[in-house]
Amino acid sequence: MRVVIVEDNVLLAEGLALMLERAQLEVAAVAADAEGFHAAVAEHRPDVTIVDVRLPPSYRDEGIRAAIAARGAYPGLPVLVLSQYVELVYAVELLSGEGGGIGYLLKDRVSRVEEFIEALRRVAAGGTALDAEVVAQLLTRRRGHPLAALSPRERDVLALMAEGHDNSTICEKLHIVHSSVHKHIGNIFAKLGLAPGDTGHRRVQAVLAYLQTRH
Amino acid sequence: MRRTLRGVVRDTAYLLCMLFTSLTSVLLLFLLAVAVGSTVVAGMGLVLAPLAVQVVRRWTDVHRALAGWVLGEQVPRRYRPLRGGIGSWMRQVVADRMTWRDLGWLAANAVVGLVAGAIGLFFAGTPPVTLFTMFFWWLAPVDDPLHMLMGTPVTSWSAALATGLGTLAVSVPSGVLVVPRAARLHAAMTRALIGRSTADELERRVEALTEARTGVIDAHGAELRRIERDLHDGTQARLVSIAMRLGMAKQALGDDPEVAARLIDDARIGAESAMGELRSILRTMYPPVLTDRGLGGAIHALAAQSGVPVQVDVEDLGLVSAPAEAATYFTIAEALTNAAKHSGASVARVTVHRTGDWLSTTVEDDGCGGVDETRGSGVVGIRRRIEALEGAVHIDSPHGGPTTIKVELPCGS
Repeated sequence: MRVVIVEDNVLLAEGLALMLERAQLEVAAVAADAEGFHAAVAEHRPDVTIVDVRLPPSYRDEGIRAAIAARGAYPGLPVLVLSQYVELVYAVELLSGEGGGIGYLLKDRVSRVEEFIEALRRVAAGGTALDAEVVAQLLTRRRGHPLAALSPRERDVLALMAEGHDNSTICEKLHIVHSSVHKHIGNIFAKLGLAPGDTGHRRVQAVLAYLQTRH
Repeated sequence: MRRTLRGVVRDTAYLLCMLFTSLTSVLLLFLLAVAVGSTVVAGMGLVLAPLAVQVVRRWTDVHRALAGWVLGEQVPRRYRPLRGGIGSWMRQVVADRMTWRDLGWLAANAVVGLVAGAIGLFFAGTPPVTLFTMFFWWLAPVDDPLHMLMGTPVTSWSAALATGLGTLAVSVPSGVLVVPRAARLHAAMTRALIGRSTADELERRVEALTEARTGVIDAHGAELRRIERDLHDGTQARLVSIAMRLGMAKQALGDDPEVAARLIDDARIGAESAMGELRSILRTMYPPVLTDRGLGGAIHALAAQSGVPVQVDVEDLGLVSAPAEAATYFTIAEALTNAAKHSGASVARVTVHRTGDWLSTTVEDDGCGGVDETRGSGVVGIRRRIEALEGAVHIDSPHGGPTTIKVELPCGS
């Protein structure tokens, strides 16, 4: 799997490259700004890209804009955006485009190497990797909302679904068997009035769309 | 010519006013003395004294206006704004130098105003009296004739016309000369005593700026100390413990890899906590989304993650100073958190608009109200932040709702 890294901080870029190489992933190029990003994508056609939010010249949200622009130019280009802080609106902007292959994680998450690599592979495969903090922001809903009808366990399952995990990962993370995950998901969809049967990215989108629009 | 005439009439009127007001000034001084005396003797003064202060201020205001009329320029009033309860109110009145200048002016006007008024009365009265005597001297009985000025008795038409015309010829031109000067002199005294000089104005601005700066420095200092403490107790301590664990892990690597792995794991968890702490400290300093998206974008970001549905109404705000941006952001964040947590509101509304150099922010919700500032809610934090920037906070939250929190901030950069 070939990766393009867009990170202007040399220390972090080197660290990421080292980690990816140890995980048997190939770092095709390291770019330091949005222009370099587009050039690298054009040249290497990577399987996945890792993009920092703050990039030169103004160090604001160039990474988000660059990612959206790149996905406009190369539909379906998998992008994992890394940031020192997360905002729900950025996640919404990233996810509002067509197709899957979007990740939005706190930089902190690189310390859990296996989980990070797993998230990267998920994005590369067209899945979603949404940071737990973003999901937490989505789940802060007031009393009286249908979400309040969910049991704590169902909330956990919903949060993991929103992060982009598939059923088997949810089993592992919550230490429960496959059939009970299935049961929980059925309950969640029934309580929230969502159509069952969606899987993968479509399921994440349905959940996110629901969480965003219904108050 | 006409203008001179109008000026003379105006100045004469002014001087005649002064004749009346100088007498009233004496009365006012008396009233004040009574007020102060009764404050000392009994509680009565608590009622009388504020009243007297108000009356004196109104009274001197009238004279500022009159003096301004004669001088052809405004004589501005300058009192420090009165704040707080009656106790601090009285202290401020006593501390305000203008109060004492008002009193000095009252005393001076009692004397100078009387003299000026007499001059006015003399020059205003002489021509009609003279004319009357000139034409109606014959109405007086022969043994008690009318007198012209200088005491000349008038007993014949020739004497009447000669002394009458003579008096007019002297008094009218000298009146035209003296009256405006007397009026201007008096008005200038008023301006000097109770008007505002350039030095006053500068002094006032220095005072206001010093006060504002002290407030800002205090708030800034407190903020720096908080950040220092957070970094020192939290992040720095964690980094030390991470380094320590890594050092120990390296030692253990050879003979007990399992212990080494556990230590490294601890170090990683410590690093994660340190990152989280740093992020929250940075957020309290200056939320990163403000840098990225400006105040408008940041408010939309807040609304997106709020626990209640939020309607956002933010116009184009132009360039807003960073402290004002941060304070506005925190105000809205705090108000929305309150609304979501405690009020049971079904909808909230955030309005931000700018008038000149003032940013006005309103957060309303349809919840149950009853926001109580005395019970350490987020509202205290809002007030602290806003007042450090010389802004104002208005909270209207009756029991049963709705709640409106309005904040006004100077936002010039």
